[in-house]
Amino acid sequence: MGTLIEIKNLKKYFDTPRGMLHAVDDVSFKIERGKTLGVVGESGCGKSTLGRTIIHLHESSGGHIFYDGKDITHVKKSEIKELRQKMQIIFQDPYSSLDPRRSVEETLYEALKLTKKYNRDTIRLRIRELVELVGIDKRMMHAYPHELDGGRRQRVGIARALAMNPSFIVCDEPVSALDVSIQAQVLNLLRDLQDEYGLTYMFVTHDMSVVRYISNEIVVMYLGQAVEKCESEELFENPLHPYTKALLSVIPSVDIDSPKKRIMLTGELTSPIAPAPGCRFKVRCPYACSQCDQPQQLNEVLPGHLVSCCRVREIGHK
Amino acid sequence: MIEKMNEDTLLLKIENLYVEYSSEQEKVKAVNGVSFDLKAGQTLGLVGETGAGKTSIAKAILRILPDPPAKITSGEIIYEGANLRNIPEAEMRKIRGSKISMIFQDPMTALNPVLTVGFQISETIRIHQSISSAEAVTAGKKMLEMVGIPASRYDDYPHQFSGGMKQRVVIAIALACSPSLLIADEPTTALDVTIQAQVLNLIHDLQVQKQMAMILITHDFGIVAESCDFIAVIYAGEIVEKGTIRQVFKHPSHPYTKGLFGAIPSLTGSVERLHNIEGSPCDPTDLPDGCKFSPRCQYACDACRKKGQIPMENLGEGHMCRCLKAKEFYDSYGRR
Repeated sequence: MGTLIEIKNLKKYFDTPRGMLHAVDDVSFKIERGKTLGVVGESGCGKSTLGRTIIHLHESSGGHIFYDGKDITHVKKSEIKELRQKMQIIFQDPYSSLDPRRSVEETLYEALKLTKKYNRDTIRLRIRELVELVGIDKRMMHAYPHELDGGRRQRVGIARALAMNPSFIVCDEPVSALDVSIQAQVLNLLRDLQDEYGLTYMFVTHDMSVVRYISNEIVVMYLGQAVEKCESEELFENPLHPYTKALLSVIPSVDIDSPKKRIMLTGELTSPIAPAPGCRFKVRCPYACSQCDQPQQLNEVLPGHLVSCCRVREIGHK
Repeated sequence: MIEKMNEDTLLLKIENLYVEYSSEQEKVKAVNGVSFDLKAGQTLGLVGETGAGKTSIAKAILRILPDPPAKITSGEIIYEGANLRNIPEAEMRKIRGSKISMIFQDPMTALNPVLTVGFQISETIRIHQSISSAEAVTAGKKMLEMVGIPASRYDDYPHQFSGGMKQRVVIAIALACSPSLLIADEPTTALDVTIQAQVLNLIHDLQVQKQMAMILITHDFGIVAESCDFIAVIYAGEIVEKGTIRQVFKHPSHPYTKGLFGAIPSLTGSVERLHNIEGSPCDPTDLPDGCKFSPRCQYACDACRKKGQIPMENLGEGHMCRCLKAKEFYDSYGRR
């Protein structure tokens, strides 16, 4: 299989009037070809910025991005266009990510025209193929976004991403704006497409049950940093970082027979502007001590299970 | 109050409520014959997808539907023995915010950005209770502390607070006059999950403390499971299933409820393929005859599509389900 995407110490800072905002701070991981990496965290943790930086919608502030072994951190404008055919994104809000004045067909036509691979006849065939692939009724081809419901709009967004025949897609909260019955349809579609075309996904979400369903591996982010990374099943079976533990414990569960013991966090996310060195979670962490003021690193605590917490061994696990 | 309330008297009774939004071109049937009742201190979860009519029901109770275009076309809303549809507006204003209050979904827009949060809390108290402004300030500060915000922030403006804190302020305003009924419309949807847990805990504690009844509107079954006594599942403006949490979560008997449970990715157990419900929610300007869910239902037959509302079937002990085959689905749990 091999690695398709690799990032090393990737940073994205934004210069704000109040200081440097560390949106993504020193994040490293690999995504295997044909697999899905889930990136979870609460709003403002930098998960969307991370996805956008990888596909060059933001210029990175440091670190490296590799695509298929090639360093693509600093590429020329002309090369970015070519890269984008291989790396696509599906946006969160299907209401604002489609041009309201373009019909489904026109939206896809626009995307396909950019590839310069199709002539007038083959482009029509390809549009038809895409529309069928994502399960939009052919009658809807000439419909405008306002005539479509959220689920169908998101299908158009997926078709547009697929138009380029990409191998890597950043899915940025693609089902957050959808109702649960529609959400399931779109998640199943994404899984089917992955099976069929061997797509590689980076799936960004705040919804823990969705990320469990779709991902092979999961990275948990807190204030721009990865605090835990492991296989999907392992994360839910055996969360090790105090933040992950708390996060998983407070998700309202439909299982009414086995009430969970909740770990209530006090306080809220601290500011990502000019953060102090050391663990960024320490002000909310029930286990925080003076050691936590030291910079933290992701360490392999169990095979394949990386945690960024100096007290992880004392806190213990199952 | 005419009679003294005890635990068994009904606080709120909604009977056959219909709400319509009409424009020149079309009529949107948002609420179609909704009935339920609520006793003091109880919590009812109203669950449904976007456009199911949840918020319209809430606004109908408080009579804050935008009229026009919205109109309550028939039905009764009995609160403490009086039909809220018939009382004069002046009386209604005394009820709103004092006996029945509401928490809106988006704390960012529910607060006035040019007034301090303290003023906004004590304003509610001053309007409904005859107390001096100094007393109102003290009461307002007490409310702030009750929702976990230091009283020193009384003179701060909404933009100085984070999302979770703003929602706490909104809760403080809603609870300032100790209402007997709180309507919470997606109170945590705009919040992160760790903050959501804090806010839901807070609402729960205050509810117990003040013996307050609550209608919790949400699309999240997990929240309902953890904070409600009863649940009503709404589809296309109709309650399709209602009962206690245990009844509905253990034996969901309407195909829509069953479908929704199948569509939620689980946090435990093996990762199977999700059972999605085919199709999309129906167009409220053009509702199908008979069962509104029939176009998406794999069990639908000709009888389901006959004109008229499908009756509620009583599955025992108040577990009600609006499906012709409800009994069949319900009984299938026993055989397993």
